Amino acid sequence: MTKRMTFKSVSEMPEIPISMGFMDWNKTGTWRAQRPYYVDKTPPCSASCPVGNDIVSFIQKIAEEDLEGAWRVLREENPLPGVCGRVCFHPCESRCNRSFLDEPVAIHALERFVADDMELRKEKVKREIEKAKEKVAIIGSGPAGLSCAYHLARFHYPVTVFESFSLPGGMLRMGIPPYRLPREVLEREISLIESMGVEIRTGVTLGQNLDWEELKSFSAIFMATGAHLSRALGIPGEKRRGVFQGLEFLKKINSGKKVTLGERIGIIGGGNTAIDVARSVLRLGKKAIILYRRSKEEMPAFEEEISEALEEGVKIRYLVSPIQIHSRNGLKRVECLRMKLGEKDETGRRKPIPIPNSNFFIEVDSLIIAAGEEIEFSFFPKGWERREGILLTQRDGSIGVKGLFAGGDLTSLQRTVAHAIGSGKRAALAIDCYFKGRDSEETLRQILIGEGPSISIFRYLHPDERPMDSHIVRFEELNMDYFEQARRQKESKLPPKVRIKDFREVTSTLPSSLAIEEAGRCFSCGTCNGCETCYVFCPDASILKREGVFLREVDYEFCKGCGICFTECPRGAITLKEEAK
Amino acid sequence: MKKIPIPIEENLGRGHLACAGCGAAIGMRLVLKALGERVVMVFPASCWSIIPGFWPYSSFRVTAIHAGFVTGGATASGIRAALDVKGDDETLVVVWGGDGGTFDIGLQALSGAAERNEDFIYICNDNEGYMNTGTQRSSATPLMAWTTTTPVAQPKENPKKDIMAIMADHQIPYAATATIAYPEDLLRKMEKAKGIRGTRFIHLLSPCPPGWRIPSEICVKISRLAVRSRVFPLYEIEKGRIYTLQEEKRVVPVKEYLKLQGRFGHLSNSQIEEIQRRVDESWDRLQRKARC
Ligand SMILES: Cc1cc2nc3c(=O)[nH]c(=O)nc-3n(C[C@H](O)[C@H](O)[C@H](O)COP(=O)(O)OP(=O)(O)OC[C@H]3O[C@@H](n4cnc5c(N)ncnc54)[C@H](O)[C@@H]3O)c2cc1C
Ligand SMILES: Cc1ncc(C[n+]2csc(CCOP(=O)(O)OP(=O)(O)O)c2C)c(N)n1
Ligand code: SF4
Ligand code: SF4
Ligand code: SF4
Ligand SMILES: [Mg+2]
Repeated sequence: MTKRMTFKSVSEMPEIPISMGFMDWNKTGTWRAQRPYYVDKTPPCSASCPVGNDIVSFIQKIAEEDLEGAWRVLREENPLPGVCGRVCFHPCESRCNRSFLDEPVAIHALERFVADDMELRKEKVKREIEKAKEKVAIIGSGPAGLSCAYHLARFHYPVTVFESFSLPGGMLRMGIPPYRLPREVLEREISLIESMGVEIRTGVTLGQNLDWEELKSFSAIFMATGAHLSRALGIPGEKRRGVFQGLEFLKKINSGKKVTLGERIGIIGGGNTAIDVARSVLRLGKKAIILYRRSKEEMPAFEEEISEALEEGVKIRYLVSPIQIHSRNGLKRVECLRMKLGEKDETGRRKPIPIPNSNFFIEVDSLIIAAGEEIEFSFFPKGWERREGILLTQRDGSIGVKGLFAGGDLTSLQRTVAHAIGSGKRAALAIDCYFKGRDSEETLRQILIGEGPSISIFRYLHPDERPMDSHIVRFEELNMDYFEQARRQKESKLPPKVRIKDFREVTSTLPSSLAIEEAGRCFSCGTCNGCETCYVFCPDASILKREGVFLREVDYEFCKGCGICFTECPRGAITLKEEAK
Repeated sequence: MKKIPIPIEENLGRGHLACAGCGAAIGMRLVLKALGERVVMVFPASCWSIIPGFWPYSSFRVTAIHAGFVTGGATASGIRAALDVKGDDETLVVVWGGDGGTFDIGLQALSGAAERNEDFIYICNDNEGYMNTGTQRSSATPLMAWTTTTPVAQPKENPKKDIMAIMADHQIPYAATATIAYPEDLLRKMEKAKGIRGTRFIHLLSPCPPGWRIPSEICVKISRLAVRSRVFPLYEIEKGRIYTLQEEKRVVPVKEYLKLQGRFGHLSNSQIEEIQRRVDESWDRLQRKARC
């Protein structure tokens, strides 16, 4: 009995005051001054992942021990999780809300863990059916090109990748040494992309054995040729024999070629290339000394790489700037000036200022210059707009010439694998829009993660599933009453002495028990994980279940708007707004 | 994340008249889930004379009897006796009385029943005042708190009565404190109580948003802070002697608890320190009891 009742006479009434019906006719929802509602928000990790990984979802799957699910979630956005889990500098972790409680979640280690799971790799990748008639050419098989190819294949376009080197992978193969990225991992992920129907033609160089004319049969082109020219220092003597270019050196040893070096090797530069060169040099049994003109704080190389290099025995001399390279008796004498740090420059780092008359010499057997990479523009048609050494593009990768798109290092000063993958995704989306006559800027806006620039291909393909408000969840919006401090799991590393014996991988994948434990540390910021805390505490039983299943629904007929569900939700997945008067 | 497992049955139906965010409504929902269908609930006058609804309606899906303000212990004794006469020893008799109905006006009936070790569970729903009639002080109102009868100009001069010690001294088989922010703990204690015969006493702290002058959305948070600040420690007493104290990992100063509540808004720092000192003392006393 849930209706109101009326008695026509006293005789209809019971003899004692006994209740005869329930109160369900009393719709207490009318009392409500504020309305709680479920809305998933953007976690800061995803918002800062240049790839646009759905971090909360894949970690959630690991926590539920559904590794296949985790693998599927990862591959919605990223064809190279095994690569990223190893070499990405993980800006996601720097923004992880967990760091306000103890330490960030080891997102990269979890990504790698899923990508490395043997069982998952047995799963057959289905070849995407190439329904679409428009063919797409991709120039360059680095992470940008591969990512674009992968997503276009998922959109059912026939894709051909042209790569000038004899093997695909770009810097992942030629730059990053195998002790950080074993080649099996790279090959395994590339072959998954190929098995989806992507054709990779190696040994084909645009501007040499492929010309623009031949590309006319393609309806769109994505340029992702990277930045492969070693930047010169512009000092006398750098062209001498026995002075090598950092990237050239890495390319050689990474493709198994011999390089004749002396014993003591000087390396000039402070970026990732310099560190990779130095650590490779150690692995060839030589000594490595890095010369860098600023101090450790300003080094553009990733923190962890620097400390690993130091552990292994790389020496770094800070605040020294080479001004001339002399040669004497086969030795290289590097004339240097000592530096001091001045005001911050436009990159936010303190500027090195030479100390007058501080000249001194450093003697080494060979010298490797790793002062950064630049873009090869020679084979580009005239008129393509460039600035600060990069090709200018719109947010969607279009360059202002119909059907032409570009991404990766070629178009960005943020030169990382993750940025390259992200740009490849955006271009794939833009190419799809271009063929379908859609406004790509508007489409992009709808699938931005937070404020962007990363996008969610999952949301593009499934607009109604897993919607996410662009609001980025702050730590203060979480309810720490539900979380306790817990140690971050660390991947184990080989001892430095063993590491430098050869090019074997330094870091190992988390064992499954630790990965699951680590996944349990994630707050799931802004994303309901069905913990049912809201259901437990509602004083009005207005958080609904049907047949025991949590519905993630508020019964507005009865909810009085107390807001307890909003306050208690551990992860800010409920919003409270004032009820319209 | 681990779910808090609670039974699915809703024996407190929707449409009830508790204020938005009522802590006791959370408590009632959980308690009724734990008790199941075979129960007779006894309600001496309190908010719960009103909340279930008005005649001829009620939100309860279980048998409930409204009783006079002073009569919780006595009515329950009578119902128990009647059931026994009928040969029904399965149906539980459970009293749900307010703090006024327990600490003050109903203490005699409760004490009598407890001394006879009557076979029922007595839940004291403590919202620290006579809330149903507009927030008058009771002997459960904390020291220096504001109520309408202890205005800011003359806040409560006496400390809260130690009802747990009183009940322990009746040497009843089981007494426990509980509060709504710890549903698993509450359910566990209810289960434990159900498995024991004789007088069982649950002291349930339920924050009252209008009476405590707190926004409704922090009701559960306040309940949690009561425990974390040790203002309301969670513990059990078996046979009136064996104390089991539940140590809280995250202890906070009482100030954290007091400062969120309008009823303590007038307190000076030295008054807060005084309260802290007394809370520390009671904690020491409890620890000593737990040790022997
Ligand atoms: C030594 C080193 C270490 C690095 N370490 C890291 C790291 O740890 N983490 C990280 O995030 N980033 C790292 N980076 C940066 C990262 O490798 C690049 O940002 C990323 O690879 C860029 O991807 P891309 O696809 O734009 O270009 P690339 O990876 O450079 O790929 C471009 C491809 O295009 C091909 N190509 C060029 N011209 C032509 C042409 N005319 N015709 C056909 N093919 C052509 C090239 O052969 C190459 O294979 C490192 C870079 C270097 C140099
Ligand atoms: C003998 C008697 N005196 C006074 C009342 C009025 N009255 C009804 S409920 C109530 C207050 C009860 O306070 P408490 O027991 O703490 O329960 P709460 O309302 O706070 O839940 C009072 C004074 C009454 N019903 N009977
Ligand atoms: S706690 Fe989890 S969801 Fe939140 S930022 Fe960290 S990884 Fe992302
Ligand atoms: S806890 Fe219940 S009554 Fe309170 S706002 Fe949430 S749904 Fe509404
Ligand atoms: S309390 Fe738990 S179930 Fe409820 S919205 Fe938050 S995450 Fe989801
Ligand atoms: Mg009361």
